[in-house]
Amino acid sequence: MTIIGQRNVSQTNGAKQRGAPSLALIAAGLFTLAAAALPVAYLIRRALQIDSNLLRTVLFRAKTLEILITTISLVLAVVALATLIGVSIAWALSNVDLPGVALLRALVILPVAIPSYVFTYSWLSLEFLPNGFFATLVVLTLTTTPYVTLAALAAFRRIDGAQLDVAQTLGLNQLESFFRVTLPQIRNAVGAGALIVALYVLSDFGAVSLLGVDTFTRAIQNTYQGSFDRSSAALLALILVAISSLVIYFEISFRQRSTLLKSSVRITKRLPALRSLKSKAWALSAILLYIFVALLTPLLVLLQRFFSRVTPIDLTELLIASLSTISVSLFGALIAMVLAVPVALLAVRETWIGTWSERAILLVHALPGIVMGLALVSFGSEFPLVYQTTGLLAFAYSILFLARSVGSIRTSFAKVPINLTEIASTLGQTKARIFYRVTLPLAAPGVLTGTLLVFLSAMKELPATLMLRPTGFETLATEIWNNTAIFRFSEAAPYALLLVAIAAIPTFLISRPDRDSERGELQ
Amino acid sequence: MTTLEIKDLGVHLGSREVLRNLTLTIPSGSFAALLGPSGCGKTTLLRTIAGLVRPSSGAIRFGKQLVSVSSLVLPPHKRNIGYLPQEGGLFPHLSVGENVGFALSKHVSDVDRSLVIEEMLELVGLSGYAARKPHQLSGGQQTRVALARALAIRPAIVLLDEPFSNLDHALRADVSVEVVSLLKKSKTTSLMVTHDREDALVSADLIALMRDGQVVQSGTPEDVYMDPASADIAESTGDILELPARRLMKNRAKLLSPLHLLSGKTSGELEAGSILIRPEEIRVHQKKAGLPKAKITQINYYGHDALLELALPGYSKEIKVRVTGPLQFEVGKTVALEHVGPIRWVSKKPTGE
Repeated sequence: MTIIGQRNVSQTNGAKQRGAPSLALIAAGLFTLAAAALPVAYLIRRALQIDSNLLRTVLFRAKTLEILITTISLVLAVVALATLIGVSIAWALSNVDLPGVALLRALVILPVAIPSYVFTYSWLSLEFLPNGFFATLVVLTLTTTPYVTLAALAAFRRIDGAQLDVAQTLGLNQLESFFRVTLPQIRNAVGAGALIVALYVLSDFGAVSLLGVDTFTRAIQNTYQGSFDRSSAALLALILVAISSLVIYFEISFRQRSTLLKSSVRITKRLPALRSLKSKAWALSAILLYIFVALLTPLLVLLQRFFSRVTPIDLTELLIASLSTISVSLFGALIAMVLAVPVALLAVRETWIGTWSERAILLVHALPGIVMGLALVSFGSEFPLVYQTTGLLAFAYSILFLARSVGSIRTSFAKVPINLTEIASTLGQTKARIFYRVTLPLAAPGVLTGTLLVFLSAMKELPATLMLRPTGFETLATEIWNNTAIFRFSEAAPYALLLVAIAAIPTFLISRPDRDSERGELQ
Repeated sequence: MTTLEIKDLGVHLGSREVLRNLTLTIPSGSFAALLGPSGCGKTTLLRTIAGLVRPSSGAIRFGKQLVSVSSLVLPPHKRNIGYLPQEGGLFPHLSVGENVGFALSKHVSDVDRSLVIEEMLELVGLSGYAARKPHQLSGGQQTRVALARALAIRPAIVLLDEPFSNLDHALRADVSVEVVSLLKKSKTTSLMVTHDREDALVSADLIALMRDGQVVQSGTPEDVYMDPASADIAESTGDILELPARRLMKNRAKLLSPLHLLSGKTSGELEAGSILIRPEEIRVHQKKAGLPKAKITQINYYGHDALLELALPGYSKEIKVRVTGPLQFEVGKTVALEHVGPIRWVSKKPTGE
């Protein structure tokens, strides 16, 4: 069985065997690259207009150093904690025989549906909790952990339980086999999840501004809103871009290249489930504690606020805001899908356009929404036709969250066995028809997941929405913000609850294990 | 009805030369097997014929049609070939019927399509399976569906890349016989890559033996088995003993070797070389005068026959002899050996292993 598995791997991973990309594909990839480069180009243009005095004052004042230290400490701490918690939860869900494991799996992912500013606002509603760095650390850790959990769960599913049996016969105890057999196989997935967490923290706006922690995102926002000083804001944003590049570089060098037995190894045996009462009790209480803190508490606070409000609910406004949120986010998700598919196809073929587009997309992902807003406002002012349209807002979403979708789309394309496309070509099919009849249907679940991730992220997005929405256009996110900004927490509650409820749908769909691949692996 | 003709084919994968000056002709309607050790370029040759690999030189002809000359190639989808890869390669998202009908043109009506699908499934003995998904089939059934899919387009040439490698041993023989007889019945020119010598010998009309990117010998199974071009080539169709020998320059039938004790005086010049002997070409006698003696060191019993390993004075290694019938030997006994097969003389002095 293993030998067959290895042969499959060599067939699926051979980037060279997939053949050269067509011109249309290259053109589509270049378009995405250009779109992703747009905000960075804007920043560079802005920063070039700064005179050297201002440059010196912004770069070398003590405040900038302080912001730098705060930002980096926050990123490191959140990444470390979220990775630890996320991997532990995923390990417990995959290795311990727990009752209601499917429900638990959905519940530990669900906190993703709660935007950080909604979480923060429920945190602030419980007035006994502190403000500041520690509060931000807790809030961001709890809201980003699901990104690691999700990646680690998928990675654990791909591990063959027979390997752990072999490790035991070779004299390794459980802990040793986790570190020497399991960990090396999940590290790439966990690394990718941790990268998303790091970029999330770098670009987070809601938590840091409500809790008053000076990170680059907040500093950019303040610089822009306080003095409309776009050049200084652009300079600060460029420093942020530099940090993000460093983070992305770390992740790339951490990644283990093409561990053999990667994508389509057959699972001959499921992971052995721990059945002892002690391990069940430990795992269950740890998971329930996370669900209680990260999911139930904010929801209960929102509900409490909801029932204690004095003003009646404006149903029409609620409905309009929901429809606006759904439609513009869906629009953004569809644009992202169209932009991401060529990049994913090029990345699978290991072409330079694919590689660099992927990196550019990651870099843009770390940009705070406000920078994207500024870039597109300046772009929009040159093209008045698109300025203040929902189309421009949807485009902003697609570029901001492209990184979330490219990963899963690329993985699903990489998993399409080359021999199937080859057979299709011997069966008289042209390249285009092979793509529609074989590649796309096989990769569809991954493409859908990626698109849902963009949809989910776009729904929760706030700063770019605030800047780019057409006048009078209110989404659930902006309604929440309008109310919390003036401390009308109870009035924000209906919008927040509705947003979480709607966001829970794609979250639930994403958290379901990929049934197709399981069927294939466990036949 | 298509002859497959390959001339001076050269293929580079990256900077590595995988095939060089490869020439092979497979007559129309025959079933050929490519046999060789792993890494000799068998699969690359098959993929080049399919159009999946671009050659650097040489020509490939399907009947009168030139499909490939130096690096100008007809793309795979225009070659009208049937391709059975390892493990069948069924499309997992399509039903059995959709797999079989995959290559049928869009213009074919639904009725015609289902007729062809049903006909093909009947041919491979799987009528009524059209609605199933590939993962609901056994390994042997998957292989047969893959064959039905390949045959549905009435291919000029069918290429099989170790199609039975995922089947277990018992099933394998059955499926292989079935598939081969179907292909022979349809009179489709077929080429199968295999590393299983029995597969090749049993099924093929023609065997092409490959070494280091070249076809070193081709012919009927009997030809390549009985008349191998060298000891090395002989190995790929079965066990072979290369025994150092000398022969009289005057009378070439007169041999001198540990197995051939020349009686009487020998006069005249002797030529050094070696002879190639198959294990079943040595007869074992309990006792017989005038024959060389050897001691049995090991017996590998297979049921239908047995392989004796013997120490032969004058020869440094063990020699293998196949005996049939009830086993009348035991380890440690001394027996007499008689060479009964044809004499395959190799002139050059063996370099030895």
